[in-house]
Amino acid sequence: MIAYNKTWLANLRLQKQVKDNVDRGYISNDEFNAIAGKYPVGFYTPNIFVRIGLFIVTCIIVLFADGLLTLMAAGGNIAETGGWAIFLGLLSYGALELMINAKQHFRSGVDDALLFTAGCAFIGGFAMFLYKTTEAPGFLPLAILVFLLTLYLTIRFADMLAVTMCCASFLWMVFLYWTKVSGVSTAPFIMMLVSGAIYWATRKYSGKKEVINYDNCFGVVQILSLIALYAAGNYYVIATLSLEMMNQTGPVAFGAFFWVWTIAMPLVYIGFGVKQKKAILLRTGLLLVAAGVLTFRNYYHLLPVDVMLTIAGVALLSIVYAIMHYLKTPKHGFTCAEPDKVNALDHLKIESLIVAETFSHTPTAPANDDAKFGGGDFGGGGSSGGF
Amino acid sequence: MIYIVYQDMPIFLFNNPNYLPYTWLTNHKALMDNNLYANLHAEGLISDESFAKTMQREQTPALFSLHWEIRTLLYIGVLLLTGGLGLLIYENIDIIGHQFVLGLIALICAGCFVYCFKTKLPFSTARVAAPNSFFDYILLLGSVSLVTFVGYLQYQYNVFGTHYGMATLIPMLALFFIAYNFDHLGILSLAIANLAVWMGVTVTPKELLLHSDFNSQTIVFTYLALGLILIFAGLASQHFNFKRHFKFSYQHYGIHVTYIALLAGYFLFYDSFAAFGWMIGIAILSAVLYNDAFKNKSFYFLLLVALYSYIAVSCLVVRVLATAGNIDAIYLMFLYFIGSGIGMIFLLINLNKKLKAA
Repeated sequence: MIAYNKTWLANLRLQKQVKDNVDRGYISNDEFNAIAGKYPVGFYTPNIFVRIGLFIVTCIIVLFADGLLTLMAAGGNIAETGGWAIFLGLLSYGALELMINAKQHFRSGVDDALLFTAGCAFIGGFAMFLYKTTEAPGFLPLAILVFLLTLYLTIRFADMLAVTMCCASFLWMVFLYWTKVSGVSTAPFIMMLVSGAIYWATRKYSGKKEVINYDNCFGVVQILSLIALYAAGNYYVIATLSLEMMNQTGPVAFGAFFWVWTIAMPLVYIGFGVKQKKAILLRTGLLLVAAGVLTFRNYYHLLPVDVMLTIAGVALLSIVYAIMHYLKTPKHGFTCAEPDKVNALDHLKIESLIVAETFSHTPTAPANDDAKFGGGDFGGGGSSGGF
Repeated sequence: MIYIVYQDMPIFLFNNPNYLPYTWLTNHKALMDNNLYANLHAEGLISDESFAKTMQREQTPALFSLHWEIRTLLYIGVLLLTGGLGLLIYENIDIIGHQFVLGLIALICAGCFVYCFKTKLPFSTARVAAPNSFFDYILLLGSVSLVTFVGYLQYQYNVFGTHYGMATLIPMLALFFIAYNFDHLGILSLAIANLAVWMGVTVTPKELLLHSDFNSQTIVFTYLALGLILIFAGLASQHFNFKRHFKFSYQHYGIHVTYIALLAGYFLFYDSFAAFGWMIGIAILSAVLYNDAFKNKSFYFLLLVALYSYIAVSCLVVRVLATAGNIDAIYLMFLYFIGSGIGMIFLLINLNKKLKAA
């Protein structure tokens, strides 16, 4: 089961919840300190910047330590085998358990890096074992091994990257198995069923007492299963797969059904997200609207791209303005005011950095007069920099 | 009512032999929170007053905030609109004519600024909040179209003649003015990027990594000058208490650009004795920024100082070991990175502790 001290995890949850009310001014700092004294958390968990720094530095150490060991072992012929990679992975894993149990690291960057390097080494080792010979056994065995490995790592460390890999490899495994056993044509429906079932299960079980330590993992699985559910019926995905796997060109069977799915599913997500007030559903839906629009444009060119972008921009700004106007006073439990929680990343002022990155290709004076009209450099957004 | 739930809460919860935090984990969120504060209250950890306040909050239904969704959509809207207009003009320039295009851009630009001047809050040297989220993005739209307008004027009508510097200087000054006048960090970043363009280089990370050419002395010195200007602008913002929250943007770009310029300078003059001058520059810069980061309790800048200094020291060590050029030196290099990496871990952990205590 989970490697981290469960009592501390419970205390950490408690402290976080109380901290929210400290930020809102309902509970004083003295009271918080008294609560933290009664329910202590002994983990070493630094802030996000130190975490990033420790992650980078730990990766450097592991890289060079593995390099040094490989260099020393290079005399024999074990260093090229999958077993060697797995041995290196075991070393990382041992260090990980040690740091967690002896040094109480929890999401400190050190444990993240060791888990990451251990996972990479194991997967690399599996791949070397499986694909050493010329007759490749297909990807199914690898998918199964990756799934089992990341499932274990998820249960043991409740890590978000591990659970991402776990969920992805599970879906990959089901897809490969089904196409092998029963063909590609029914695969979309099976993938819909499986990812829908995963979403349903995570919604049902998230927040339950037994799995409370895996709350973050449940969130990740929900996002991934929603995306997979959409992708399973997306017209472009199906057309591409049927071309790649069955060499089938032309319209897809049940095309109408898949088109409805492509266009309507994001809206269904958004609808349920609004109705149930679930941020994950709502945001995934908003993201997938873009996927739906891009898919549609890939097949039907109703308008030239410039006109469409302009209309979309104006429409989006007007719709959002209308929503903001409507929600000036909170209605139906929605508000557009800033949430009262402070995010650690707000200190980085990410938004301003993104603005500079995307809009900074502003026109400059052409270096010579016969330069052609600088394609796309005017107007900035989304265009590539020619200067 | 939720409060009644608390009143009816069986006494066993308070004397529960199980470990306390687990007993709150029922599957009903509201009930869970109530149990939590009821228990903390019963244990005498929170006062009656605080308990009443939290209870009152639990009774008012929580609002679901669409703040970030709305901001993201506004951002995408501006991105689509400016991108679409740019393309529209480019594709149809032969049909619609230059005057019309210029008029259109000017109209959008003027409309945005009229709205912003009308709704903005009065200027202050301290932070001024935007009146609403929409304001930020309309200002962004106005600024981007202003820059487009000036660029278009220069391209089509050559208003600045061959004074190409002027064509970038004017948008840059306008952007700095807008950033300060309306207190907009995104436009400040745009202005900084334009300052770099005016000096003939680029600062955004993607461009810096992909398209920069550090093999010329002029470029390295330009970058160095730019970086130092930005760092001093940051320090000055704080010193004169004039929009001091702008310091972050100046420092962020300034630190990256200066360190990268100094390292590039070191490699440019690698074979001459001057290389060590650049290393001394890094040492001085690190010392200054280290003190500044401590004064402002900034973990982010401290991390940057630590990592860039580590890179610089490692460059020197690798250089020394490379001159030896035998297999032992390679082993030593591996050992150096392992040992110094472990040292860095302790350093970062201790710096973090020190900064928190400071």
